[in-house]
Amino acid sequence: MSLVRPTPKSRAVRAKAVRSQEAHAEASAQAEHATFRGRWLPWLFLLPTLLVLGVFSYYPAARTLRLSVFRANLIVGNEQYVGLANFAQLLSSPVYYQVILQTLIFVALVVVLGLTFALSLAWLASKPIAGAKFYRLMLIYPYALSPAIAGTLWLFLFNPEIGAVNTLLDALIGVKPRWLDNPFLAFALVVVASIWKGLGYNVVFYLAAIQNIPGDVLEAAEIDGASAWQSFWRVVFPLLSPMTFFLVFTNIVTSLFDSFGLVNILTRGGPVYGETGITTFLVYQLYEDGFRNFKTGAAAAQAVLMLLLVICIVAMQFRYSNRRVHYGA
Amino acid sequence: MKKLIVLSLLALASTALAQATTIEFWHTFGDAKRSDWIAARAADYNAAHPGVKVVAVFRGDSNETLQSSILAARQNKAPALVQVDGVSSQLALDSGVFQPVGGVKSVDFGDYLKPVVSYYTIQGKVNSVPFNSSSPVLYFNKDLMLKAGLDPKQPPTTFGGILKACAKFDAAKLGVKCVALTPFSWLFEQWMSEQNAVLVNNNNGRTGRATSTNIDSAAGRKVYQFYKNLNDQGYLTNTGKLADTVGTNAIFTSQKALMTINSTAGLGNILDGAKQNGFQLGVGVLPIPDGSKRNGVVIGGASLWVAKGASKPEADTALDFALFMTNTANMASWHKLTGYYPVRSSSVDLLRKQGWFSSSPLQIVAFNQLLKTVPNVANAGALSGATIQTRTIIEQGMQKVLGGQSVDSAIVSASEQANAAIAEYNKNFK
Repeated sequence: MSLVRPTPKSRAVRAKAVRSQEAHAEASAQAEHATFRGRWLPWLFLLPTLLVLGVFSYYPAARTLRLSVFRANLIVGNEQYVGLANFAQLLSSPVYYQVILQTLIFVALVVVLGLTFALSLAWLASKPIAGAKFYRLMLIYPYALSPAIAGTLWLFLFNPEIGAVNTLLDALIGVKPRWLDNPFLAFALVVVASIWKGLGYNVVFYLAAIQNIPGDVLEAAEIDGASAWQSFWRVVFPLLSPMTFFLVFTNIVTSLFDSFGLVNILTRGGPVYGETGITTFLVYQLYEDGFRNFKTGAAAAQAVLMLLLVICIVAMQFRYSNRRVHYGA
Repeated sequence: MKKLIVLSLLALASTALAQATTIEFWHTFGDAKRSDWIAARAADYNAAHPGVKVVAVFRGDSNETLQSSILAARQNKAPALVQVDGVSSQLALDSGVFQPVGGVKSVDFGDYLKPVVSYYTIQGKVNSVPFNSSSPVLYFNKDLMLKAGLDPKQPPTTFGGILKACAKFDAAKLGVKCVALTPFSWLFEQWMSEQNAVLVNNNNGRTGRATSTNIDSAAGRKVYQFYKNLNDQGYLTNTGKLADTVGTNAIFTSQKALMTINSTAGLGNILDGAKQNGFQLGVGVLPIPDGSKRNGVVIGGASLWVAKGASKPEADTALDFALFMTNTANMASWHKLTGYYPVRSSSVDLLRKQGWFSSSPLQIVAFNQLLKTVPNVANAGALSGATIQTRTIIEQGMQKVLGGQSVDSAIVSASEQANAAIAEYNKNFK
């Protein structure tokens, strides 16, 4: 849960608003600070992290920023300065707008439905029932599969002629839906597959959080005559809000970026609908342009736009973490 | 003590000498069957040539291999020999990190199959050594044909023939689709070639950089119309994913479709599938649009490129190994293992002598199809730096037609998009 806590720096900014508990934390942090001898020692300890971040994150990010103002082809190895033309081209392209729109719909669906589903399952699996441990294990396992394997699995399951799903549907009700080239079905399929893929992760965190809820709170609710639904909705759900908050943001980022593996294997961005493939999301478009068509400059511009998006998300995370979330537990 | 130092220095020097002619060969075959074959050829070669070492390395799919080779070359660490996909030929050329094999030493390509060499000849120079080559053929289920009263000895050879056979097959009501065919640009390219139509201008990009495509042409429209006819009549099935031949193969071998069209390189796997599911497999020539004279197939596959940055002995070794790997005996064994063509005439003779074609008669169809191809501009295949993107555009156009759009609007927009992609690529050279 510490992941959603604001950083010491942002706490300092809101020093006036801090409650005594946090002020205490601040004091102890300062006490720890005081144990470092000299100015440079803490930097020395930070050095390995900074080096790794520098080499693998900041330097590539800086290069990407630079590359986004060039026309460049990875194979040809050219670099022609074009100013903001890459961005202008993207932002005037109906294809890119469709990609943005379908990405936002995809992310919203995956986050909302995925978390609702994960919370319900975690709540059920946390009940003291026979075989609870088995259920928990089974709920978690999809997370252990790599996206490529999950994609291949779904591809075989949903092959319209010989897939298990259509064989069953055909035998039962005599229909064979076109899962991969009906735009609506293909989109739904990728949403459901992503939810399924992320379910294990979300269930693990929710299970842990549910087990941390003190039993006496629920007991008190029960004594007060709360129904099962009331004690879940009025007691458990608010107490889980820090976890929900954390999961909302990790899920947003995961569905933005990690949808790639699944899409690449399952639909390759298709089927085409309107201007482009309906499951072509931002990260897949970037991959197509950068690594299949080798348009490095255009891909870098897309990476910069995605970086801006992530900055917005992180800003929102910091902004709302203290206001709307109940950290009482 | 001094002696020891001298000895160890000598030892160091000798290992350095031995390493001086170690070269890497980067290829794109991750499956055990084909990568083991390549590793075994490298081992054969190393055993026969002491002091020289060829290390074969799987580098991911063709795109990844090309990309990593070029990035390595920019740091002067290029692998001496790289397998490059045919469609990426223009990219490999434009990258400037490879050299025409004729520049390393003069090679007699007389024994290599003409259409294959023609594909890799650019502006009069053979750029690379042909390696794995294939073309599409018609695969059909003989048992299902008999059940529907069709003659398996006379599979359809034209689009019209397929539609006719499908009508008869459909009437038999076996609950099986007639054709498993995925939106696949490689086939579009083959059918352009069979109709003696180029895919891109400037003689398929071979006399100058291509600047536009020929997708929106009578020849191109015939292909789109074929997909539309099959679909409208309810004869067509596929997985819905673009270029998903793995999916259509699975549909075909599970006996959910009477026919499919796919590469000869898939013959091994399809034959295994047919045996598993207990049906007789038939192979026929690639069916072509009605009324066109067969102009031959375009060779698909990949060739072996020598890096420009390789030192003289490294380049010599690389080329020597490429020629060794594609020698008569090796190409015959490669063909038997994979279904790819042996790229040399002498290998075909060897296979004939061994009785290979009478023991596996399915292979002969593909051979005749290739051997009958008289090289010209159209069947040499297209050179363009935007081929990969063009392929996706062509396939999306096919998918639009299958989704109900008219051939006219789908092909016009595909053509515009592909032309824009080529123009965009060409801007890299201004």
